Amino acid sequence: MMTDLSSALMICLPELILAVGAMLVLMLGAFGGERSTGAATMFSGAALIAGAFAAALGPHGTLFAGAFHMDQLAAYSKVAIYVASAFAVVMGYGWMNRSNERKFEYPVLILLATLGMSMMVSAGDLISLYISIELQSLALYILAAFQRDDARASEAGLKYFVLGALSSGILLYGISLVYGFAGSMGFTQIAHAIAAGGANHGVVFGLVFLICGVAFKASAAPFHMWTPDVYEGAPTPVVAFVAAAPKLAAMVLFVRTLSMGFFGAHEQWAQVLLVIAVISFVVGAFGGLMQRDVKRLLAYSSIANIGYALLGIAAGTQLGVQAMLVFMVLYMIDVTGFFACLLALARNGRPITQISDLSGLKGSKPGIALAITALSLSVLGMPPFSGFWAKFYVFKSAFDAGLWQIAIAGLVASVVAAFYYLRMIKIMWFDASPAPVDGSPSEARWIAFACALFSFPVVLIALHFLDQSAGLAAASLGLH
Amino acid sequence: MTIGLAHYLAVAAILFTIGVFGIFVNRKNVIVILMSIEMILLSVNINFVAFSAYLHNIQGQIIALFVLTVAAAEAAVGLAILVTFFRNRGDIAVDDASMMKG
Amino acid sequence: MNAFLLQYLPIVIFFAIATVLGLGFMIAAAVMAPSAPDAEKNSAYECGFNAFDDARMKFDVRFYLVSILFIIFDLEVAFLFPWAVSLFGMPHDKMVYAFVSMMVFLGVLTVGFIYEWKKGALEWE
Repeated sequence: MMTDLSSALMICLPELILAVGAMLVLMLGAFGGERSTGAATMFSGAALIAGAFAAALGPHGTLFAGAFHMDQLAAYSKVAIYVASAFAVVMGYGWMNRSNERKFEYPVLILLATLGMSMMVSAGDLISLYISIELQSLALYILAAFQRDDARASEAGLKYFVLGALSSGILLYGISLVYGFAGSMGFTQIAHAIAAGGANHGVVFGLVFLICGVAFKASAAPFHMWTPDVYEGAPTPVVAFVAAAPKLAAMVLFVRTLSMGFFGAHEQWAQVLLVIAVISFVVGAFGGLMQRDVKRLLAYSSIANIGYALLGIAAGTQLGVQAMLVFMVLYMIDVTGFFACLLALARNGRPITQISDLSGLKGSKPGIALAITALSLSVLGMPPFSGFWAKFYVFKSAFDAGLWQIAIAGLVASVVAAFYYLRMIKIMWFDASPAPVDGSPSEARWIAFACALFSFPVVLIALHFLDQSAGLAAASLGLH
Repeated sequence: MTIGLAHYLAVAAILFTIGVFGIFVNRKNVIVILMSIEMILLSVNINFVAFSAYLHNIQGQIIALFVLTVAAAEAAVGLAILVTFFRNRGDIAVDDASMMKG
Repeated sequence: MNAFLLQYLPIVIFFAIATVLGLGFMIAAAVMAPSAPDAEKNSAYECGFNAFDDARMKFDVRFYLVSILFIIFDLEVAFLFPWAVSLFGMPHDKMVYAFVSMMVFLGVLTVGFIYEWKKGALEWE
């Protein structure tokens, strides 16, 4: 029994590190007050890095009667999520220092949200799926409204909360129907039930609700209403966090649920996912055209990108999942870099949010302008930047799975979306600057440069490694 | 008349629908939205418990307990966010939450 | 059709009894209760509200805060009941496991409680 327990604890060591770390940081802050924010930040960052190592090197296995899977897929996503969260912790600390609002709760909430995400990618039954999604969402709602005296932030938090809670309700209703008609909560038991009796109407009905709930968390259209408002209103480091790690977590949750539990109903859910994907990239491409706020623009861009990633899942093949995993990680790096650039820019002490404020950036901040240019070209899918390879893999897997009409629609949408990135680049390089820009904080600048350098040329070296580990991760699901 | 699974499911479905409508139709007060959310979660709990009894499977009751606690945590977070919203605006009408559009 | 409606007879009876009882108590209270108000009786009680006032008024946000803090701990207790009932029916090794699990859970709750206390959320002023 004891050896059983200790080996089980080794398997979920990353989660234990995060949970215990979050509680220790909370106690540190409770007794140390605001002075301890620096220590809390360092400790949280250390916990995240330690968690990433534990996830990468730790043993694999299935725990708690199938409720928790630690496999190659979980390890891959956990490492990516932890690293993205560590960046968010660092960016948030610099931001809090500048706005003179040092709160040790910020790293604690990031740790708790990360814990939720890390359980999302490991969830092996419907109970752990629900609990992990809620843990992540509740922490994110609070983070969105973190700036308590800012009217926009609290409005963003309120909208995020109301719509998020509604989607949790829908998700839960789907879970109850699946449970009732498949007879169990575990993914493997559900898969057996579907294999034995086929997917009856109750299961499919519940599954549709479940997909809608998770699509909401991943901000896929038509469940994207909250995204632009939260991106615009919430503090920038929080948005940098919300825009990166939770998306990957929701996508991996999708993959694991659909392929481990519901692969017998692939025909049904692939239809639903394809509809969601098409609506997402159309809404993302056309919605972004009218935006004036950079963060709103990035919100629409994220909606479109979730649509592309969903294509990989809908293909239902190992290559599709692999493409989705590569796509999401490359996208996370791009989007983190984008928000780091935004954090690095301010004029007269006020952060730059409007696209028109970027004009003439080449004169005052050539480095940041270059970084934004590289990241924009990457997100719009220009070769040889990382975004091109990401889209290339996803579209290729969609073509291979015979979804060529949808893939062509996606290509058209990404051409439309290219317009708004190119407009931003044009404003930065060719328009006149209205006023000088403030000096940029070093940590945001370094993260921005690192991400931009990754999108080109580091990606050319890293891609092979990334592709290989994504391949291993996808193989652990046992698809073809 | 014996009350079977279908009756419980029907009640839960009706309550769920009322809850969802409560969120979308209500234009006056955000507190009402919180109550609607609570109603949605509890209607799902009826489903879980009914299925649990019907299937002779304990898992439904376990998740029902989890849902109860998560609902409480959700209400707490929601009220806290609502309080900050009220402090900034001095009102909690739904139509007020419209600083950002587009 | 008649037989079908007859099934709902208990509900009708229940409604009738509820109505009669409710009305009965209200009328009885209005007719029979002695009414001798004085300033002390009508003054605000511990909660600080006037006894006869519009119920739909704005009240202090700290009441919300206290109720929020209360409801979390209140509902976590819901996990203790099934645990306490089933703990001693388990084989020994599982019992130890279940006991330690619950102690860990209570420890997590305590961490939250310490945070709450240290932040001064339990102070009224």
